[in-house]
Amino acid sequence: MTITTNKLPKISLNRVLIYSVLILGALASVTPFIYMVMTAFKTYGSATTNVGWPWAPFGDEPLQWINFTEAVETSGKDTQWQTFLFIRYFANSVITSVIIVAGTVITSVLAAYALTHINLPGRNLIFMLILATIMVPNDLTLVPKVVMMFNLKWYNTYLALTVPFLASVFGIFLIRQFFLQIPKDLFDAARMDGAGHLRYLITIVVPLSKPAIVTTALLNFIWAWDNFKWPLLVTRDSNMRVLAVGLQQFLVSEGGTKVQLMMAFAAMVVVPIVVFYFFTQKYFTEGVITTGIKG
Amino acid sequence: MRTFKFVSLIALVILALVAVSCAAPTPEPTKPPAPTAVPATKAPAAEPTKAPAQPTTAPATAAPKPTEAPKPVTVTNPPTSPEMVDAIDLMGKKVTVTYWHQRPQAQQELLQSMLDEFNKTNPYGITAKAEIAGASYPDVYTKVSAAIQASQPPEMSVAYQNQAAFYRGSNAVVNIDPFLKSKKYGLSEADAKDYVQAFLDTDQNPQFKNERLGFPTQRSAEVMYVNMDWLKKLGYNEIPKDWKTWEEAACKAADPATKKYGWAFRHDASNFASQVFSRGGRILAADGQSYAFNSQAGVDTLAMIQRMFKNKCAVEIPVAERNGEQTRFGNGEVLFVFASSSGMSFYQDSVAKGAKFAWDISLLPQSGAKPAMNLYGASASIYKTTPEKELAAWLVIKFLGEKTQTAKWAAATGYLPVRQSAKQDVIDTLKKNPAWGPVADSYAKIFDWVQYSMIESPVAGYDPVRDNIDKKMMTLVLTDFTVDPKKLLDDAVKEANQILKENAPK
Repeated sequence: MTITTNKLPKISLNRVLIYSVLILGALASVTPFIYMVMTAFKTYGSATTNVGWPWAPFGDEPLQWINFTEAVETSGKDTQWQTFLFIRYFANSVITSVIIVAGTVITSVLAAYALTHINLPGRNLIFMLILATIMVPNDLTLVPKVVMMFNLKWYNTYLALTVPFLASVFGIFLIRQFFLQIPKDLFDAARMDGAGHLRYLITIVVPLSKPAIVTTALLNFIWAWDNFKWPLLVTRDSNMRVLAVGLQQFLVSEGGTKVQLMMAFAAMVVVPIVVFYFFTQKYFTEGVITTGIKG
Repeated sequence: MRTFKFVSLIALVILALVAVSCAAPTPEPTKPPAPTAVPATKAPAAEPTKAPAQPTTAPATAAPKPTEAPKPVTVTNPPTSPEMVDAIDLMGKKVTVTYWHQRPQAQQELLQSMLDEFNKTNPYGITAKAEIAGASYPDVYTKVSAAIQASQPPEMSVAYQNQAAFYRGSNAVVNIDPFLKSKKYGLSEADAKDYVQAFLDTDQNPQFKNERLGFPTQRSAEVMYVNMDWLKKLGYNEIPKDWKTWEEAACKAADPATKKYGWAFRHDASNFASQVFSRGGRILAADGQSYAFNSQAGVDTLAMIQRMFKNKCAVEIPVAERNGEQTRFGNGEVLFVFASSSGMSFYQDSVAKGAKFAWDISLLPQSGAKPAMNLYGASASIYKTTPEKELAAWLVIKFLGEKTQTAKWAAATGYLPVRQSAKQDVIDTLKKNPAWGPVADSYAKIFDWVQYSMIESPVAGYDPVRDNIDKKMMTLVLTDFTVDPKKLLDDAVKEANQILKENAPK
């Protein structure tokens, strides 16, 4: 009978250094999140004067749960739905984010497939041109794009909030790199079995590329959920606005900011992203790690 | 097979969502204005909401000879004389006007409730709507610029004087003077006198022959917040009135070891401008043709900032630390702060929770020939649409400036009302408000200082100049104690004049 003992991992200087850097990085990333949650439970006075910090991270008063209800109430009333505008903002954020994510994933997958599996003349040049569009600063095209929305009569509609973002250069790039790793033999075998491009794409390529596709979906979801400037510029009515725009209620020009309400609102806004990330983390990590590695 | 079904299901969901999105109501776009001459129409029978008295500035018209019929007035777009405005008939036109602004939702609701009142009471059937167009003035500016390019501007919007000048450069905003001086629709003599003259003056643009490119709806001012308990402890029985004493007190208060400083320095060109004004200088020359902040007042301002940082009397508030000066003031870490009067309730809140001390506001220290105070505040500008819409927009702005409305607005926002008669109403209301009650008396002082108002620069292209003032001058003297303030100022003015030239009316 052999007794196995759990060996402690070897502690080396390298390992200590690596873990120290990782812990510092993790702390730096999580600090704003912790600050947001703590501030969301304070009074304005506590939030701006850091009373009791660091021994009483939530201030020296009872937790201000009321900030959350006040933040929702401050968002105003939606006369159409007979509810708070916060609910409307939330619904609009969900609708626009889902459309943008679905659209982006579909266009990215199709474009990436065309750029990797179809012998288009000058397909690398096309890919370079697509990549080159990243070089154009967004601020440069902002006003012309808003003008376009006016001219198309899309101003203050869901079309303006979604259509301009149904394609993502980064998504095309990421998924293309993933598709390049799929052995060509699979394609040849599928063709011999009588599969066309679309069947091969849907039944073989897409399942194999789940990590890259989920990564594209997650990144675009985060971007769409947080998008502020565009929805602000192309909407007119409060019932067309999204959550990120709703946050601006708490900005007061020169006077000050109701920081405690802003953080309560932000905490509610960030929950769906955290949940989404929680469920897709495995794919996300896989997608980021393996993209670009030739198999 | 399952995957295929799943993809099909997703496709169906997307199609449904797209269908929903297409169902959103598309607003009726505002038609771009056609610069046509509108023939004069008969004066409306209905009386305006307020019977205007004769304006003092109305040009005297010669009485027509009994044999001659009065000449019909041709109304241009925009109207260029009070007579043209008088000739516009709004009756039965059912004009709708929209006001773009950057206030939060709670204030949007207050604004819309006031406009609802206007919609009910105006005899012309005008419908006015307020819309949030952004979270900040730059947001509104971006949106308005795009709307102008698309020939679909709103009828009116909030705009800083320099932004209005920029719009005027492309003939997108109208001169409000003909509307203001109209016998039929303008301000009565009593109303004109009731307005704070300094507020009215700020919208006359020197770049465009003193055209009035906006109309004030609110104002605030840069004031000095002072920790009175600390000041007394330092041996001063009153707030320093001159710069020498002020600097001495600030340096006496400073103790970097305990993170205590005399002054919290904000990265803001208005901060610099306020100090230049208080030393008798100007940002823009009186004729609006050149920048003038490289005067002795500018040199003294920059040299003092440099000296205070060299001697560790002041602390820099990083740009990323929003309202950091307020936080540190509340914690009793800084003796003096220069900031907007509209933040008084926030300061009160911070102090009450923080170091709990007696505090007050005052004018900045002065060394000029006469006192000066930096007046802030965007106005409402009217865009070139149609003469009827322009007039309707003017009537809305005029309504918002009436005593009842301006008092309500000031009490809700902490800004100053635009009429003198509203002063007491606002103060009384603030005294009943728990957030403002303790500081209402301090707020009341600002009314006495309004007479000293000065504005920075109402010309197009001031934003990049502001940026240069902060990044190329103020930021440099904080860390480089050898740099020559005069040279920095001369270089900055040279660049500012170039920007002014580039943005001059073509």
